[in-house]
Amino acid sequence: MNISGLMDWLGYGYLGSQMPRFGDGLLMTLGLASVAIAGAVLWGLVLVGPRMSRRRLVSVPVLSYIELVRNTPLLLQIYLVYFGLPLIGAPLSAFVCGVIAVASQHGAFLAEIYRAGIEAISKHQWEASKALGMQRRQIMRLVILPQAFLKIVPPFGNQLVILIKDTSLVSAIGIMELTLTGKVVVERSGASFEVFLLIAVLYLLLTSSFGAGLRMVENLLRSRY
Amino acid sequence: MEVFFNNLPYLLSGALKTIWLALAGVPTGTLLGIGLGIFSVIAPAPVRWAITGFVFVVRGIPVLVWMFLAYYMLPAAGIIVGDFVAVVGALIMYTAAFVTEIARGAVLAVPSGQVSAARSLGMRRWTMLKLVILPQAIKLSIPPLLNNSVMMIKATSYVSVVGVWELTYAAREVVERTIAPFQVFLGAMMLYFLICYPVSILAQRLERTYTYEH
Repeated sequence: MNISGLMDWLGYGYLGSQMPRFGDGLLMTLGLASVAIAGAVLWGLVLVGPRMSRRRLVSVPVLSYIELVRNTPLLLQIYLVYFGLPLIGAPLSAFVCGVIAVASQHGAFLAEIYRAGIEAISKHQWEASKALGMQRRQIMRLVILPQAFLKIVPPFGNQLVILIKDTSLVSAIGIMELTLTGKVVVERSGASFEVFLLIAVLYLLLTSSFGAGLRMVENLLRSRY
Repeated sequence: MEVFFNNLPYLLSGALKTIWLALAGVPTGTLLGIGLGIFSVIAPAPVRWAITGFVFVVRGIPVLVWMFLAYYMLPAAGIIVGDFVAVVGALIMYTAAFVTEIARGAVLAVPSGQVSAARSLGMRRWTMLKLVILPQAIKLSIPPLLNNSVMMIKATSYVSVVGVWELTYAAREVVERTIAPFQVFLGAMMLYFLICYPVSILAQRLERTYTYEH
């Protein structure tokens, strides 16, 4: 018995017939999340350098951007990008707007996570490395970053799980991902909460398998160093 | 900027509703989460498992989906409440799940030597909790609790997707009337910033005072 046959047997024939839709929605969520994760990781790397710069002319604008983005709702940022960009002559697709907004907010959070990881390495290590005659760049590359990397992995993973969940917000600008698919199916059927239970289970599978993968990576790294 | 100032009273009443949503959801959820977090350390195994399951399920699903679920599921279960109560319920539950983890972490972060010491002094479980563990755990957990509150204040904006009127919803209405997304959305963002940033700053300050350089 296939899935739609099983659903029919359970008395959820209509929901069963909508399975391909949920499949498409899930794929869209996965696509959005992957592109946004790549964007956020890179954006965080771009931001963390100037954020930690000792020149205030460089660090203050970046810090202001990070604090603004971190202290306002992602939903408003999505609206701002989606409704604002066409007015300045950049009518991008909803998908691109969603990715830009999600990557911009989570990039800011990731930049702070990278910074915290780097700053968590004791100052004595800088002093010791200097005493050994190392240059600033050498210290960063050979001493600080390898240790910071290990400290960054757990909060980094948590942030990405939050990012995956936050992709549900782009349903507000009409991208047919999992949440909007649920809403549309509800509006057409009246099978209301069953639909959202299914959506919830799909999200739970997505985030928990991602989380399990992260923990494997974490353990692997910990056993190697 | 004129559009923003003309519509400021409307946006401000939206901001008041946002604050009201946050006050209804965040403190309640935080208290519930602290209770669950403490229980998840000291309660017998089945209760601990139930709490772990609750946290796993709630945190694994987007808060927006919980809002839709509350919105559709409560009436289907025969509980007829307004949409405001439904989304506040979702906010409380989501806050509680995150706070459970924070409180649990803070209780477990108190060195186990202190538990042994308290026990050797003849303290009972509740005395030990009250006099030894909680005073230290509370200090440890305040900055993450404040950060979590900021996250939940931001999450109140998602109720607009379900159809509950507040600041984000009001901003969308104004944009539809005025077609001035930059002024209005940026203005609404500034209002959120004014609510959230003081809490974030307080969290950062406290974090700095509580951490020592090793």
